[in-house]
Amino acid sequence: MTKLQTASLDLFDIQGDIVRPYGRFGFPFARYVFFNIREGTRGRAFLTAILAKVTSAATWGIGPDPIPKPLATTNLAFTYQGLKNLELPRATLAGFPEEFAMGMKARKDILGDDGPSSPEYWDPIWRKSRDKNRDLDVHVLVSINGQSMAALEERYQWLLEAVAASDGGVVQLSGHRGHDGAENLPYQEGHALLEDGQLCTKEHFGYTDGIGDPYFAGLADASERVRGRGKQMDDGTWAPLATGEFLLGHIDEAHEYPAAPVPFLLSRNGTFMVYRKLHENVASFDGFLERESRNFSGSKALLKAKFVGRWADNGAPLTTAPDDKSKAEWDARFAQASDVEKDRMLSDFTYDDDMSGAKCPFSSHMRRINPRASLEFTQGDKPGAMVRSRGAFDTPGALVNRRRIIRRGMPYGEAKDRTSDRGNHGIVIMMLNADIGRQFEFVQQQWINYGNDFKASNDKEILLGNHDKEYPSRAVLPADPDGERAPYFLRNIPRLVETRGGDYFFIPSMTALRLIAKGLVDPT
Amino acid sequence: MGSNVSGKAYALTILSPIKNAYVAGVACADTVRDQLENWNLLQNSPMARVPQTYLARLFVLDDVFTQSLPGAGALDTVSDFLPAVPDGIRRAALPTPDHLKSKYLVFSIDFHGELEPYLRGMWQAIAPEIQSVWQHCYGFDAVSDAEDFVAYMKKCQLTAALFFVGSNDDPLGEQLKALYLKQEFSRFALESQGLPTAELKKRYQEFIARVKPTDLTGPAWTPGQYALLKHSDARQEAAL
Repeated sequence: MTKLQTASLDLFDIQGDIVRPYGRFGFPFARYVFFNIREGTRGRAFLTAILAKVTSAATWGIGPDPIPKPLATTNLAFTYQGLKNLELPRATLAGFPEEFAMGMKARKDILGDDGPSSPEYWDPIWRKSRDKNRDLDVHVLVSINGQSMAALEERYQWLLEAVAASDGGVVQLSGHRGHDGAENLPYQEGHALLEDGQLCTKEHFGYTDGIGDPYFAGLADASERVRGRGKQMDDGTWAPLATGEFLLGHIDEAHEYPAAPVPFLLSRNGTFMVYRKLHENVASFDGFLERESRNFSGSKALLKAKFVGRWADNGAPLTTAPDDKSKAEWDARFAQASDVEKDRMLSDFTYDDDMSGAKCPFSSHMRRINPRASLEFTQGDKPGAMVRSRGAFDTPGALVNRRRIIRRGMPYGEAKDRTSDRGNHGIVIMMLNADIGRQFEFVQQQWINYGNDFKASNDKEILLGNHDKEYPSRAVLPADPDGERAPYFLRNIPRLVETRGGDYFFIPSMTALRLIAKGLVDPT
Repeated sequence: MGSNVSGKAYALTILSPIKNAYVAGVACADTVRDQLENWNLLQNSPMARVPQTYLARLFVLDDVFTQSLPGAGALDTVSDFLPAVPDGIRRAALPTPDHLKSKYLVFSIDFHGELEPYLRGMWQAIAPEIQSVWQHCYGFDAVSDAEDFVAYMKKCQLTAALFFVGSNDDPLGEQLKALYLKQEFSRFALESQGLPTAELKKRYQEFIARVKPTDLTGPAWTPGQYALLKHSDARQEAAL
């Protein structure tokens, strides 16, 4: 027996994908495989068979009896229908939140999945799920990440054997789109993209992705990671967010346990996940950037950075590198910095000196997804000036701390022809939170597809907004209220990202997985 | 009177008792509710036709809500410490929940100006709709013209202190014009971005000539407008 390393979180009980972005831990290849459970007993037997290889969040490679880093990881998640078919008791099912039971497709009006993002254009697997034939409903997601393609393939073959052994109790669902018109692939692939032959952390528009992840109580390395990732306090310090914002069964930012089903053991250390396949319109993006850069007064790279709030090449935040000159200086410092310092340069910043958005625009991706303390603001005296409204909230980030989301995911496909929006390439994004309605759906509806909280009327987030030709989208790139320069308006923003499918999932703890597999979930 | 007024904005709250009766097997309160629901099926509320209306809300109040068993005050507190008090006495000391004497039609509006002219304007604009809803209320049988209506509504009036925050106290026409100008000006700013000064001046003059900023009878939002025009419809409109 090996003594557990002291840690605030029960890392052995939490599925690994909640705590680790596998892509950044040396697993550049991913495969997302979906199943329909036809029969409860055999479905649970299938779970029992694959449980042994489910990857927990336990730390790899330290201590006297180290947990080895696996060549491939495996993680599980379930839709509401999946839990129902695994025969969870009715009293337990009734305790799940309404939006989880409804699923992503039925929430399309809230999410703005309209026009080319509407469910009728989704990949066949998602079009057919939650439709007429219950045998085609998505019930289980098994996600595999591999250090190599070979390791990934080996784990996938092992999974298929377990499916075969279920004797028809579990059926793999095909219907993923691929290249060259493929419509019926058996799984969704994901992989880190290559840049100059090297694996990188970029997506198809060329941005460095996945930098800002929330830091919450119980995670390791607080002193190194909390600044810029936790919650901003009045005195300028940072504190970890409450664990209950991301894990069920823990106290959240409102000092309550998040809504969760009974029994407590089923929900504790689990969370909810939003799986979204997002297609990226690379030709529209390149064309839009090209068109706007002709009139924009700065460089094309700066304009590209204005869309997301970070420079595309290395993720330098606009708040600390607001123009070409300061970016060159930032790069020089970055090149000399240690890994810890690099991480800090990327994450540790506030909008305190950019309340008017002259550096990082209000409609940029990063500011909309995580406004930090910048919503505690009001109109200043000069035209276009916004100022901090100190003391308006309980803490400066009070509105934001309840809307944070852990993002996991991988690019998929290749943008083979950048002169066309067609093809199969984008991002599979998985967003983790304790409350899909309060966190993901709120951010999507109010901050991505609407701008009122940012005093930006109905301007949408530049990259992810559901821009619609019938109501031409604009975004303001504000100028310094003390300067001479005019703000710049982005006009007729095309739909840059389109939803291709997905659903809402529950990620149980390791304990809960065992209970479900044994049919021992008991709400009484 | 002061508490109903904020600057030139007026907050009116009316509670009209609905007859405790039925017609052709349907209770009057249910008929009122059904008629109000029908307003939701119209392109716009009849209240959009009533001059100077900022916001209107109508609903049927069935009864007051009982939130919990009310406490009995001092005796209840004392009896907690003196379990010797028999349960029967304790229960008898609890107050009974309150109920309304009838169901009410609640009519709550914010508008610009003074009460009587507003109510006269309302009668002139939508008398048939008023009659079809209010005929089910006690005392409305005697209402047959604008002055009767004003007198009736004042009898049903409650003092109000809360105002619609989405509006200031300017006349409705000025607010609608201002919203229109704000939207059109941002469109102008977008479309003329980066133009040389002379061209910008010329376009601005054209813009001002088109939107007529000081002319309230010129282009503006219409009362009750709740959606943006589609780009294709807006173009059509501009072409006409």
